[in-house]
Formats: sequence, structure tokens, C-alpha cells
Amino acid sequence: MFYIVGLGLCDEKDITVRGLEAVKGCSRVYLEAYTSILMVQKERLEAFYGKELILADRDMVETESDEILRDADKEDVALLVVGDPFGATTHTDIILRARSLKIPVRVVHNASIMNAVGACGLQLYNFGQTVSLVFFTETWKPDSFYDRIKENVDLGMHTLVLLDIKVKEQSEENLARGRKIYEPPRYMSITQAVSQLAEIEELRGEGILTPEKTLAVAMSRVGGGDERERIVSGTLAELLEQPSDIFGEPLHSLVIVGKRLHHLEVEYAQTFAVNPEAWRNVAKNVYGCSLD
Amino acid sequence: MVNFTVDQIRGLMDVPTNIRNMSVIAHVDHGKSTLTDSLVSKAGIIASAKAGDMRFTDTRDDEKERGITIKSTAISMYFELLKEDVEGIKQETNGNEFLINLIDSPGHVDFSSEVTAALRVTDGALVVVDCVEGVCVQTETVLRQALTERIKPVVIINKVDRALLELQVSKEDLYQSFCRTIESVNVIISTYHDEALGDVQVYPEKGTIAFGSGLHGWAFTLLNFAARYAKKFGVQKDKMMLKLWGDNYFNPTTRKWTTKGNDTDGKPLERAFNMFVLDPIFKIFDAVMNYKKDAIAPMLEKLDVKLAQDERDLEGKALLKVIMRKFLPAGDSLLEMIVLHLPSPRTAQRYRAETLYEGPQDDESAIGIRDCDPKGPLVFYVSKMVPTSDKGRFYAFGRVFSGTIRAGPKIRIQGPNYLPGKKEDLFVKSVQRTVLMMGRYVEPIEDCPAGNIVGLVGIDQFLLKSGTLTTSETAHNMKVMKFSVSPVVQVAVEVKNAADLPKLVEGLKRLSKSDPCVQAWINESGEHIIAGAGELHLEICLKDLEEDHAGVPLKKSDPVVGYRETVKAESSIVALSKSQNKHNRLYAKAQPLDEELSLAIENGKVNPRDDFKLRARVLADEYGWDVTDARKIWCFGPDTTGPNLLVDVTKGVQYLNEIKDSCVAAFQWATKEGPMADEIMRGLRINILDVTLHTDAIHRGGGQIIPTCRRVTYAACLLAEPTLQEPVYLVEIQCPENAIGGIYSVLNKRRGQVISEEQRVGTPMFTVKAYLPVMESFGFNSELRAATSGQAFPQAVFDHWEQMNGSPLEKGSKLEEVVRGIRVRKGLKPEIPALDSFYDKL
Repeated sequence: MFYIVGLGLCDEKDITVRGLEAVKGCSRVYLEAYTSILMVQKERLEAFYGKELILADRDMVETESDEILRDADKEDVALLVVGDPFGATTHTDIILRARSLKIPVRVVHNASIMNAVGACGLQLYNFGQTVSLVFFTETWKPDSFYDRIKENVDLGMHTLVLLDIKVKEQSEENLARGRKIYEPPRYMSITQAVSQLAEIEELRGEGILTPEKTLAVAMSRVGGGDERERIVSGTLAELLEQPSDIFGEPLHSLVIVGKRLHHLEVEYAQTFAVNPEAWRNVAKNVYGCSLD
Repeated sequence: MVNFTVDQIRGLMDVPTNIRNMSVIAHVDHGKSTLTDSLVSKAGIIASAKAGDMRFTDTRDDEKERGITIKSTAISMYFELLKEDVEGIKQETNGNEFLINLIDSPGHVDFSSEVTAALRVTDGALVVVDCVEGVCVQTETVLRQALTERIKPVVIINKVDRALLELQVSKEDLYQSFCRTIESVNVIISTYHDEALGDVQVYPEKGTIAFGSGLHGWAFTLLNFAARYAKKFGVQKDKMMLKLWGDNYFNPTTRKWTTKGNDTDGKPLERAFNMFVLDPIFKIFDAVMNYKKDAIAPMLEKLDVKLAQDERDLEGKALLKVIMRKFLPAGDSLLEMIVLHLPSPRTAQRYRAETLYEGPQDDESAIGIRDCDPKGPLVFYVSKMVPTSDKGRFYAFGRVFSGTIRAGPKIRIQGPNYLPGKKEDLFVKSVQRTVLMMGRYVEPIEDCPAGNIVGLVGIDQFLLKSGTLTTSETAHNMKVMKFSVSPVVQVAVEVKNAADLPKLVEGLKRLSKSDPCVQAWINESGEHIIAGAGELHLEICLKDLEEDHAGVPLKKSDPVVGYRETVKAESSIVALSKSQNKHNRLYAKAQPLDEELSLAIENGKVNPRDDFKLRARVLADEYGWDVTDARKIWCFGPDTTGPNLLVDVTKGVQYLNEIKDSCVAAFQWATKEGPMADEIMRGLRINILDVTLHTDAIHRGGGQIIPTCRRVTYAACLLAEPTLQEPVYLVEIQCPENAIGGIYSVLNKRRGQVISEEQRVGTPMFTVKAYLPVMESFGFNSELRAATSGQAFPQAVFDHWEQMNGSPLEKGSKLEEVVRGIRVRKGLKPEIPALDSFYDKL
């Protein structure tokens, strides 16, 4: 049996009971560590699960799936995935491969940022397409996410923006020459994300993301409990001005608030607002939310 | 005893109409450096008695030992033209004082990158041609280089003393030989005719050709003789000059000019040139060399040549030298010709601006360059780096095209990869000092206005080899120089003592800075590779590296040749590669580029920086491309300029522009390290036919697309009959008839292909031209010497890339062996990677 087990968002204890049982019975356990990261080190997981974990980077998951799936038809093998296996990350490929090798697959679900985003007080029902924001370079500034956000905005929906992480990436030169030399890990900060949004808004000028008129919620380490989790809300312009330590440690996500805003949502998120007064005002005047 | 001061020179620098920037160019051994001595002696920097023996501009010990020039050397000189001659100048002038900035360049082909660098900063060229050997392969090369840079040539036919003393030719034979040489020079000039430059063919009767002997220190133009005879015949000097060349005869009995070779009685007349110009020279030679002491004195009196007391006691060649030097001093004649006929920076920059400057022709920098305006924005081109006495530091040598350069103010230092508005390859620093380059000395000067050549201290660490300095924020780069040689021969070096490695690394950096053409890099297996134009070039580089730049003992491998990877056909099927996460797919096909197009790209005729619409037009009109395709060229590669093209032929694909950058990056490296042997690719076109992409940018970032694009390029190549191209030299061999047999047998042994064999008219010498693969050229010179008992003199210049026969993919073939050899040398697996390591099935 090949298990894909969601680990949840925070630490070793977020694993489900079913997941833990599966792990304990496996002969090999892989930990996928490139699409997201947990807030604790691998050693903590190993101690808790009582199993040795094999770190699987992007290269391994994408090119050495045969190794991961080796003998999975005779014994149990697990791939641990941060969050939910079908969450923001894409692990469909390895499941397809397992199927074609006639290996039975079992998925163990868990919480993901896709649902935990509800913590900010915006209702999950009202979220539209999720987009990722990648690190811009001097010459490479993909802005197709703008169109996705626009579609959401047109329907009045919130947008979850996932921020790029580069855990084990190669430089362009090394990529092109096929050399496996990796750069130090990088995580996109809220400040950088907001300034990239502003940059594209300026470029496209369609008024979707006007910094002063757009409400947003910055979230970090969601699911990490009070000592780790940070939620900060405000207009894009306000978020841009905040010192970066207010947003806490990576990983970060950002929610762009849609026009279909319920007054309860406003009220809930107001507790995280940089400036509650301004938050209310924008919600009332720009978003047309009827507040008393 | 320098007969001018630095202040005088500095004064003249402010008068751009009275500056002449010129280079001396020629085939190897035609006597450039020796001739330059005559000019330098005129300026009083070296004693005139020593001129001809000293080679002032050969500053390095090895240059003196070998008797060849290796590095180009600049020198500034002061010259006063006779007041009456000033009116002969056909351009704007102020007064009769002139500043001449002269650059002596190497003649050996291996160093012709030095010539390119010299030509860039000069406006005129003195082309030296050996009167016995005539126009040789390198004469043609340098002349072509000069003309494409819009450099106006004047010619000196050198070594006339050899014709007189060794070959003992008659006057008419000598005239005919001059004519032939001039004709072949003019044929080359008219081949590379350029509207903007106008007619620059050279004519003796216009004074653009001089005749002389650098070794003996004498030379003349027809103007010199015309001046002597004009009074006697009572005609204008320029009319007289016309009479002194061509079919003009003087009948001494009737004292009439005629254009017929016979008088009314049918008796042959003597050509005016022979009678008035050659005759006195022949008489002097005859009298001196045959010890007719009595005849000498009256002759000297007639010619108005006065000898000092001790000089009268000389005999033979020594006496001849003294007399001829007083009779026709080379310095005066040549400097006069240079001042009269070569353009000043003010004149030249007007028509050169458009070929020099990359930006729009109406921005402030372009206007500054065009007007040679010392008050305009600074535009300075650094053409090469000259080592200073301070080890590891360099003077940045170049020319002020606009504005004035001085120490202090911050200037923008733009490397060759700088793009306006971007920050890459850009530094903002100040110059520490400006210096005048005087052969082996330098003289500090305070500042330097437009039109002058100067050295800069303190910016060497910001530029690799060349670049543009400016004060204008909007300035584009000056055009990058195109070298006629490519570094096709490589050696690997390593240190003998491991502890010296850091010194080697530092030394390689310095080496690549000091030479415009050499390349140095570290290959996959960690070896340091140096690439040069030929065996001699590499030999000099390695010597420099070992003795100077690194200063540590080195182990050197045998020289090897750099190949090019290419394809012969279109890919047999569409190549497909998937990204690692399987969410993105690229479909592509490879096909060969026309050889003409590859060449055009290499020569810079088709350029990545051209406007894409104009370029598409050219590609459609001249190379048969589809205009739509031509407009969608994503990039050139490698290094964004090479002769390989990545073309987008997809139809209506979403997000395509978001992966363009990743593809461009991948293509650069893929073409730098080809699929078969990690060699540079050439003449390859990749068509991206289709792509399927993940909707979310994060799943189609560089990490996914770059490796995929590289793999699809490789897969497409392996499906398109990949093969290698090897570099081929054109060798020109001068030899007497009896050595020809030896030459043929050596050439045959080395896959050489003779393309012509000609006798030089009027000499017993033959010129054999042949193609010789560079691979086979190692040790060619010494073998040739042995086979012809030292009578044959070869000159090899890189000519073209030749496709090799066979297929490297065929097991056991000769080409496969070559590829294996390269792979093993580079520390790769010996087998060519199989197609399925790049090609993914659907």
C-alpha cells in the first residue's frame, strides 16, 4: 500500500490518528519538503512517529518516483506531505504513477491552508480561485495571477494568495546546465508580496488592487497556536507600511478581500486590523458593507 | 632629446581639426615597426641614427627577440607642416601644427584582435606593403577590417631598397611592380566600398601612396618630387604630380610632355616617373654601392644634400643610408602624407558616428560624437587594457569620442552587456588619472578632450576587456568590436605545486584582461582552459601567464581544438519534454540555419540588438525566412549573440510570455554546451511548436521550465542528424619553386586542400593557398620547415567552420571517436547521452 499522509499545518502532533497508524506500519517513510514546510524540524517528527524519515526534495519526488514507489505493492510506503495531500500542492502525478504500477493508494487527509484560511474570519464559501505569487526577477514578472484575481473580484470573491517559497532551488545557470547546486532557502514576505501586487497593479492599471482601497489579511503560521500564528488585516497600503516583524516568521499567505463582504466578516477581521477605524471605513465606503 | 613638450601636445589636443589618429597596419614582416621608428625619430623621441634598428614600439623583450610585434603600442607625436603645404589639406584646419596619435599594431594573424582594437580608436591607417612580396593575406584582412570600421587608408610601399639591392630590377620593372601592388590594394578597397566613406582608393599622383624603405629611413610621395620640379618646369605642384605617374613622358630634346611612349622618330621615351623620380635614386644607389666616390659629391650638391664631416668617410650601405635619409627623410614624407590625407577626428566622427554608436542617432551622446564636441556629454570607448608596471593593474586605453575626460568626477562605466535603463554591467566610479601613452613611457596629463587617444588609471577593475564610459544617463553603448579571429585553439593548464592555485586563478584573470581575444575558463572537470587564435598566440599567452601574470610554474596540456556542434537536417519527429512536475510540456523541432545566416550573425550583420522588425525584413529578404517567424525570434545564443536562434512558432498559447525568460536562459546554456560533447553549438534553429502549461505561475517557474527547455533543445538536436564542425585555417605559403613539392606532401599528410598556386609576377616566389584543419595544424610550421629546408613561410588565419563527414551517433564511426575523446577530456561519461534522457514519451 502506498500512503499519502497529510501532516497538517503546525508540528508533529497535527497528524491524524489514522495517519499515525499508517506511518507506524510502513517500512519506508518519505517526508516531502519543498512545497511547504512545517514549523518544526524533521528530528521532532522522527521522535514522535518512532520512524526514520527520508527527506524527499523536489528532485526526488519528481524524478525518482520509482525509488519512492519501490516494492510498495508488497510492503507499506508512506509519503508525508505538509498540509493536505490534495491541498495547494500537487501530488497527483505520483498517485498516477502508483496506479499505473498497480500499487494500491490510500490518502489520509488533514488540514490545509486552503481551509485554515478561515481563521481570518472570512467565510470559506466566498473564496474564489487560489493563486500563487512567485518571486519576481529583473526580467521575469509573470502577472497572469492578476487576471485570476480580477475574475474573483468581478464575482465579489476573496482570493487566497500563496506566497512563493524556494527551499532548495537552483540558480538559473545551474538549472540550465543541469547542475545540482542549490541556493539558500528564501520565503516571500508580506511586504514583498504586497509591493509586487502594487507593481503589477501599476502596470495593468485596471483598478483591481488599488493599495488604498483594497482590504487584505496577512496570515503567517496558521494553525501554529497563539504563540506562532499572526493575523494582520488592513488595506494593502497599510500592510506595506508595517515593519516586517509584525507579520511573524514565514510561511506567509495573503487574502485579498472580495466585494461580497458580510458585516460579520468585517467585524471578525477588525480585531486583527492595523487601524480598526480605517478598516471599517474602507469596508463601508469602498466595499459598500452596511455597518451600523 | 624630445623636440616637443607635453604641454605643446596638450595644447594641440584642444584643436580637433589638427589631430590625426592613425594606426599602422600590414602583413607580418612587411616592416611596420621599423617604419614607425622613422616617424618616431622625426618626432625626436629616438635618435635618428638609430631609427630602423630600434623598434621603439616593440616594448616587450619577447617582441625584440622574435622580431615581431605582439601588442599594439600607441605614441603621440607633434608635427609641423610647412606653411605653404597647409592649403593642400582638403578639410578644416587651424594653423600648421599637428598632433599625431599613432598606433603600431602586430602583423601576425594570431594577434589581429589587437589590430581591431587599434582600428576602433583611429580614423586613418597607414597600410604598409612589402614591395617584393606584395599584397598578402593579412594585408587584405587588416585592410578589410579598416574599411568596415570606416577607416581611411594611405599606403606605403616598403622595402624598395630590397628591390634595388637584392633583385637589381630595372626602372620600368620597378614601376610595373608598383602598379601591380597598387592595383591589388585598390581591388580590395573597392570590394569593401562604403558610400559614407566615399572613394578611398589610393593613387600615387594624388599623394596617397608613398614609396620607401623603413630600414634605411627614407620614403617619398610624388608630392616631394613634384615640389622639386614644379619650379623648374614652372607648373603647379598638383599638375606636376599628375605628370609624374602613369603614361606621361618627357621628351628631353623637344622639352615637351607627351602621353605616347615614343617620340616622332619612333625612339622610345623614358617614363616621367622613371626619369624624374627613380633615376636620381638609382644613380645614388649605383654610385654608392659601386664605390664611385667621384660621382657622389656633385650629385649631392645637385640634390642639395649636405653631409657632416664624419659622414663623408662612411662607405657602402652606411653611406647610402645617410644620403638617402637626408635626401628623402621618411619621417617628413610620411607625416606629411598622413596630415594631408588622413581625416581629423572632427571630419571622421561625422561619418563614423552611426557605425560607432548603438543608440539612436539623435540623442545627446550621438550628437556629441558626431560633432566631436569637447563640451558634449562624455563618451569614451575603452578598446583594450594595457598592463602597467604595477603588476596586476592596467591602463584602460581608448578614445574620447565626445566630451572631455578628467580625473575626479563620477562617470558611468558600461560593460558590453549593459542595456540602457538597467543596472547590469554598470558601475559609477571616477577616473584616478589620465595619461598620454608614449610607447614604453607614459606622461600624466590633466584632462583630455574629444578626438584624442588616452590611457586611464583606476577603472581597470570594473571592465573585463572593453567598454563605454559616459556621463550621460541615457547613453547607449558604443558598438562592441567584432574580431576577425576566433579563439579556436585551447590548452589546459594546471599548477605544478598545488599551493600556487590562487596565483593561477588571479593570473588567468589578468591574462584575459590584457588580451582582447584570449578566453579563459574552468571546465566541468575543474581544468583551467585557455583559448587563443593560434599556436603562436597561445604560446605567447602561456609565457605571459607563467612568467608574469601568475608567476608560477605551470603544466600545460597539448593544444586541442574547439569544435562546434550543429545539426544537418530538421528533426525527424517532434521532440517533447515534460517538466519535472509533469504539468508543463514543451514541443520543439530543430533545423539547421543557412551557413550565410550563421556568418551574418557572427559578423554582426544580423544582430540581436537590431530592431526586430527591420531584422525580420532582412531575414525574409536575404535569407528566405518567413516574416512572421522572423519577428518571433526569442533569442540568439549562446551569450545572447551567438549563431543559434530560438524561435516561437506556437499559435495562441496562454502564458507563453511568462515562460519566455526561462526558455531564453535555458537556450543560452544549451547552445553553450551542446548535447553531444558539451561543445558550443552553431547554426542551430529551434522552433518551439507548442507548449502546455500549468495555470498557476508557481508550477511553471524557472525551476520547471529551464531544465525542460534545455532538454527539449537537446532532444530536438539529437533527432536532427547532429554533427560537428571543425575550424579550418586558410594558410598562405610563400616559397621558391623547388619547395612546392615539400609543401604538397606536408599538406596532404594533414588533410590540407590546396586552393591556388601562383607565381608572383617578377619574382621567383610562389604563393600557395590551402585550407588546413586547425586540428592538423599543430607542428605544421616546423614540419613544413623541415620538408622545405626552411624555404617556406606559412601564415595561417582562421577561415571557416567545416562540417565533418559522418555521424557521431553511429557506433564505431570516426566522428564518434572524436566526440568520445572530447567527453573523456572534459571528464564526462564517454557515451553520448541517449535520446530518451532528453525525450519524454506522451
